[in-house]
Amino acid sequence: MKSIENDPLFTRAMVFCAWTGFACVVFFIIGGVILGGMLPPLFNSAEPAAEFARKVSENAFSLRLGSAFMVLSFALFGTVGAGIAAQTRRVEINPVFSIVQTVFGAGGMTIGVLVAFAWGLAAFRPELYEPSIIVTWIDYAYFLALFSVPLFGGWCVVIALPILWSEEGSEPFPRWVAYVNLWAALLYAPGLLIIFFKDGPFSWHGIVALWIPYLAYFGWIMIMSFALLGATRQQGTEPSLRTESA
Amino acid sequence: MPEFSTTREVKTAKGRVPGEVGIWLFVAGDLVVFAVFFIVIALGHVDQAEVFARSRASLDMWVGVLNTLLLLTGSWFVAVGVEKCRTNPSSGVSRYFTLAILCGLGFVANKSFEWGGKISSGINPATNDFFMLFFIFTGIHLLHVLVGIVVVLLIRNTSRRPALGKREMQTIESGATFWHLVDLLWIALFALLYLL
Repeated sequence: MKSIENDPLFTRAMVFCAWTGFACVVFFIIGGVILGGMLPPLFNSAEPAAEFARKVSENAFSLRLGSAFMVLSFALFGTVGAGIAAQTRRVEINPVFSIVQTVFGAGGMTIGVLVAFAWGLAAFRPELYEPSIIVTWIDYAYFLALFSVPLFGGWCVVIALPILWSEEGSEPFPRWVAYVNLWAALLYAPGLLIIFFKDGPFSWHGIVALWIPYLAYFGWIMIMSFALLGATRQQGTEPSLRTESA
Repeated sequence: MPEFSTTREVKTAKGRVPGEVGIWLFVAGDLVVFAVFFIVIALGHVDQAEVFARSRASLDMWVGVLNTLLLLTGSWFVAVGVEKCRTNPSSGVSRYFTLAILCGLGFVANKSFEWGGKISSGINPATNDFFMLFFIFTGIHLLHVLVGIVVVLLIRNTSRRPALGKREMQTIESGATFWHLVDLLWIALFALLYLL
């Protein structure tokens, strides 16, 4: 493993990855919150299909533009995830967790863009669709986002473990970052409940199954983006330098 | 290095955080989430007072009391175990953690009986909003208990090491902190679901 002191490309690359994380959150606020009606939820899981169709027709342009911003936001899961994996890789002699993180991050990004696709499709040509098709697209979007707990939660766990299992002074990120990741994974867990409920706090529009996981996730993106910036600043948790094995 | 004026004695209190900072962040975060759960229950009491009161009355309070006692006793064993690790680590210290695990398993068994009894008499999460919240929130708490049992197993294994250095004590204290959180969350749930 090499020192980053004479590696300006590393610093620039990490700063880039960190800033894509901040951009991700901003684009979601524009696309998902202000324009797209994903959070707070425009739709209600318990409402009749005709109501979904009406809401889509009345807000079609806003939903379409929102979807475009959301796909931009969610694609950036990849850059944040890869940055995290790259930093984890630096403390490994024989890489394992960095590889696992890359796999989960790629999966997370793919799921994310599918969420934006589904949202956009619901509003693409609503005049042609049966209302139940529109409901299906919205259900699909929320299921991709919320029901994918083992993927997003698992991602958090495989970020936390190499931190907690590292020797003191050789952690890829400060230890508190590991605990934040474990907490985030816990907060995503209620997303699994949406399959059992069509109304109330555990449905995909509910406070427990929608708001908590979403707020936790975008909070996690912010925290991990700051953590990536921290990796460039050698704040005392810099992995101790070891000579590369021959 | 900041220079301190000799005319002003700046005493920095060197407080020690039991475990490590990260576990306390985790605890705080979990408390925030459970606070949301508690608010949801409280709102239910307000919106559907009659349904909630009637449903609560059908719960067996003594089952809840037993669960509370089991977790409190488990916490006591964990606390004694941690103290012994600090002051007099010996081969016998791990038995306290074993006893705590048994308390946790007792909680799981008791909860299973309680749920089983309810479900076999036709009460389930779909019965009404009170029971939806009852099963889901005690279920989420039960997951915490299961994780807590694994954590105490981890502490137990750590406590058996020949030397308990700073790192081992950190692990033990962090794990104990999580167990105490699980206990605290149950006490609040017990009060909101069984008593109020």
